[in-house]
Amino acid sequence: MKLIKKTYYLTSLWLLPVTIIGSIFCFLMIEHISYEETDEFLTYEMQRLVRYHEEHDDLPEFHKVADILPDIIYSEPAFKDTLLLEPGDNEMVPHRELYFTINHKGQPFTIVLRHLLLGRDDIAEGTLLIIVGLLLLMATCLILILNILTHKLWTPFYDTLKRISTYKIGGTPPTLKNCNIDEFNALNSTIKTLLTKIDGDYKRNKEFNENLSHELQTQLAIIRLTTEKILNQNINSLDSSTIESVKSIYSSVNKLHQVQKSLMLLSKIGNLEYNENVNINLKEVLEQVFEKYLEAFELREILVTLNLADCPLSIDLGLAQILANNLFKNALKHNVANGFVALTLNKKTFVIENSGLPFKGNPEQFFQRFTKGENGNYGIGLSIVKQICELYNYSISYSIADNSKHIITITFL
Amino acid sequence: MKLLVVEDNEELLDIIVLTMIKEKYQCEKAVNFIDADEKIHLYTYDILIIDINLPDGSGLDLIRHAKNNNPASGIIVISARNSLENKIEGLEIGADDYITKPFDVAELVARVKALLRRRNFLGSDIITYNEITVDTTKRRVTVNNTNIELTKSEFDILLFFFSNPGRVLTKETIAEHIWGDNMDLVDSFDFIYSHIKNIRRKIIEKGVKIPIKAVYGMGYKLEELFDEIN
Repeated sequence: MKLIKKTYYLTSLWLLPVTIIGSIFCFLMIEHISYEETDEFLTYEMQRLVRYHEEHDDLPEFHKVADILPDIIYSEPAFKDTLLLEPGDNEMVPHRELYFTINHKGQPFTIVLRHLLLGRDDIAEGTLLIIVGLLLLMATCLILILNILTHKLWTPFYDTLKRISTYKIGGTPPTLKNCNIDEFNALNSTIKTLLTKIDGDYKRNKEFNENLSHELQTQLAIIRLTTEKILNQNINSLDSSTIESVKSIYSSVNKLHQVQKSLMLLSKIGNLEYNENVNINLKEVLEQVFEKYLEAFELREILVTLNLADCPLSIDLGLAQILANNLFKNALKHNVANGFVALTLNKKTFVIENSGLPFKGNPEQFFQRFTKGENGNYGIGLSIVKQICELYNYSISYSIADNSKHIITITFL
Repeated sequence: MKLLVVEDNEELLDIIVLTMIKEKYQCEKAVNFIDADEKIHLYTYDILIIDINLPDGSGLDLIRHAKNNNPASGIIVISARNSLENKIEGLEIGADDYITKPFDVAELVARVKALLRRRNFLGSDIITYNEITVDTTKRRVTVNNTNIELTKSEFDILLFFFSNPGRVLTKETIAEHIWGDNMDLVDSFDFIYSHIKNIRRKIIEKGVKIPIKAVYGMGYKLEELFDEIN
């Protein structure tokens, strides 16, 4: 939900109790004022009558006297509420009465003054009108104010958000503009600290990878070239045990190189060094990579079935190729003679099935690094595949059907 | 043919230089950026073999300088960094080829020869051995003036042998040469065996000898013609 929408939503939610309490308050206030005013009016009338009576010993010509009751004495004036039938509307209407006693010619008389009160339904109606009117006005103003304020207040925030969301690891960290809001400045400086740390870590990691691979590979190159030199120079003078030693040195160097390369690749993927996402069609990548393996599949007499539909993805091209390479390699390497490989690709999933050796156990372990197979193979290829899938939030699973059919399924989310 | 090899590891440098001299190239060496830069400015080389990672500068800058001085020279980049950016940048600023450590001498020699052919420094893109003729541009092989059909891999392997007569090519080297860095298949050795068997058969059918011999179970070697004469 957008910030502004959420603000509207929460504001309206809070306005609800405020409206209810406000309405009750408004109702009670109007009722109170109506009583006060009526009482005041009746009191003034009483005072006028008393004064007039004192001066003229009679009641004025125009008065509000509703009733005169002999024999009842009120030592203090008293207010009373009463309901009277209004003949016009034929309904009971609230009235306010004031009882007070005057002494007329030695005889006490209680005079009743009466005045119409505001009906509760009238008050409720008035309250409703006031509140609804007020609410409409407030809502209009709130929307306007919130819109203007959100835009104005949150601009630095949106600016920061835009800058950091376009930041790519390995690139120059964005400069975040300071503003006059302390919280945003604090946010910016925290982000700056984090980005500097991330950038530093990334660069150190990358440099470490590069240094390590440079130093290792240079030495590996020397060993490899020296072994070759021995092979070439002394071809007629080598005894069989020397040849065996040279062979084992040579094969170890090559294995070391493969392991080193794979580990470096894993480390680089983990360090997000492949982040040039482009729009590709996985179908095309698979077809290109497959061409390289076609001959190998043919030589091993493995039947390959391709069932590829277009599958647009946003992914680093290098990683897409590594993914395809490792999957083909896996399907080839762990296949059996006269076996098969079947690839099915559509927009949502990529399934690669191949015949292989029977396997009992949890096939998910093939995704772990350096799983020892029966013939001592390294299981790093699939762990690279898994790491690439994790990077792009693709789900990947390994299952075995009919004892020896190996199935890898990748689902693009 | 004049070559300059720039590599900061002296052992490696010596091995490369010795190999190139053995290939009858005039070869000079530089062990750091300053030496290399000076040589590039003073002399003209046909081929430069440059390690990108130098202690006192970047090989990428050397490529730029070399291209400025003599755009005609061919450049092969050696790098231990597998990083893709370096590779792309190197090729973008004018390098012709890229080779990653650890490489084999045979591979480097094949790359140098391929580059020389592409640049037409050798004056011809045709290699002959006995009565076998390989047209590297048209990718055609003729034996005794009749065409023979080779698959892509078979052609690549044959050309690789022709670029390295007299040198033992290990199975790993051949596998890497035809399938690239990605092929670490155990089975690839069997494929190489069948490819070589096929090449032999196709050539021998035409009545021409092709002395590719197995060496110590590690690899194969194409005898030098010189050996043949003896």
